[in-house]
Amino acid sequence: MGGCHHSIVARSQPNSSAPHPLQACNMMLWPDACRVFAPYAGGMLTFMRSSLTRILSLAWDSLECSSWNPPMKKVVSVSLGSPDGDFSREIDLGGYRVSLCREGMDGDTNRAQARIRELDGSVDAIGLGGIDIYLYVGGKQFVIGDGLRLAETAKKTPVVDGSGLKNTLERRVVRRLASEGLIGASSKVLLVGAMDRFGMAEALVETGCECVFGDLIFNIGIDYPLATLGEIEELAEKYRSRLLTVPFHLLYPTGASQRERKPDPRFEKYYFASDVIAGDRHLVFRHMPERLDGKGIITTTTRPSTMSAFKLAGVRWVATTTPEMDGVSGGTNIIEAAMVAVMEKKPAEISAADYSRWIEKLGLDGAVHFLEG
Amino acid sequence: MASAAELQDSLESFAESCNANERLRVMNRDWNRTIHVHASDLGCDFTLQSVSGAVSVQSGTAAEVSMAIRATSDVLTEIFYGELSPNEPYNDGRLRVQGSENDILHLDFITAMLWG
Repeated sequence: MGGCHHSIVARSQPNSSAPHPLQACNMMLWPDACRVFAPYAGGMLTFMRSSLTRILSLAWDSLECSSWNPPMKKVVSVSLGSPDGDFSREIDLGGYRVSLCREGMDGDTNRAQARIRELDGSVDAIGLGGIDIYLYVGGKQFVIGDGLRLAETAKKTPVVDGSGLKNTLERRVVRRLASEGLIGASSKVLLVGAMDRFGMAEALVETGCECVFGDLIFNIGIDYPLATLGEIEELAEKYRSRLLTVPFHLLYPTGASQRERKPDPRFEKYYFASDVIAGDRHLVFRHMPERLDGKGIITTTTRPSTMSAFKLAGVRWVATTTPEMDGVSGGTNIIEAAMVAVMEKKPAEISAADYSRWIEKLGLDGAVHFLEG
Repeated sequence: MASAAELQDSLESFAESCNANERLRVMNRDWNRTIHVHASDLGCDFTLQSVSGAVSVQSGTAAEVSMAIRATSDVLTEIFYGELSPNEPYNDGRLRVQGSENDILHLDFITAMLWG
């Protein structure tokens, strides 16, 4: 992968420069001990000092274990996507060590269900990838039937789909890109799916970008661009009952179909007319023409091969909406699962404000890669 | 059981609703399909045609079809009047649709846009 990138991920470590309590405790306790035990032999004092030191040392070690070195959190993303994108990483999330593992089920819902059942109760949080449980559009929640059925397989471990971060972190990333001048009022943006990323859609509109929303193009195959947030809200409302019942694989590529690229001459014009193409990586790739010279991409779930493909197409920059982890940006679901594991709250009790506060606290942000040169 | 006339009336009502919806006409402009509708209890056939965004109904079967829809007359009549979402009878097997997944999704999308 060529070019440079910058990335911001919180890595706040325990305060290792804090004074060891023994230093302070000895200063306070030792003179008192001397006065009390002065009539006795020096050997006794030596013994006591050594005992006190041992006790305080053990207490400090125990304090360190419980407060400063929490046990590693374990998070698994069970994805309906291809196993080609599998990865495992250990990250530092605000002082918490989190083990992340993505497992692609290649579109096999039964296998995904069995794996969730297996993981239930043995990991701290599960991310559900390649499918949504909820869409949040215009302040309303819409349920994806297939996603909810999968999530409900877990009875103990929280299962999240990334919609909490799409509604918060992705807005923040868009604003940062605007503040850095990568997008702005004159930018033409193709957002391949806005129902799934309404937060990003709203942030792009707020920034003044001229947006085309491709939900009908990329999810249904109908050559009809949507131009306003109102149209997205209307579409979501009309399609509400279908989201509960239509098999999800008809709306979104899962498994092997994620590897298929289907350049469609009807849809190329939307790529060519845009300065920036944003949204789900699989949808971006689905009808992507060979050349995207000078354009920007805002997406997630990138791998080194993704960056190579974008570079080969002439893309100028790629912004990921989740943190960079040694060449990989995870799906919003796995990062959200990591946050839920650290927050130790039930997903239903976590508000958008909670996510925003923790994003701030953990310093979570995406990354920008410049591919030129 | 609905009559053949009632079924035809429901199909014509569906076609009228599609044609009256300007957005649907644009959405369907390149969706040229011939759909065979068969009422299993009446043994009668109709053909729905979508050409350049306009939908029409004829009785009988066309020589070549892109999709085939089969159900009892009352299920079909309720669906094409917009009184019953096609998902429910499709999922419980009362409605059978043959065609490509994309065409089935497209037709279902049309009914969602008309009646939600």
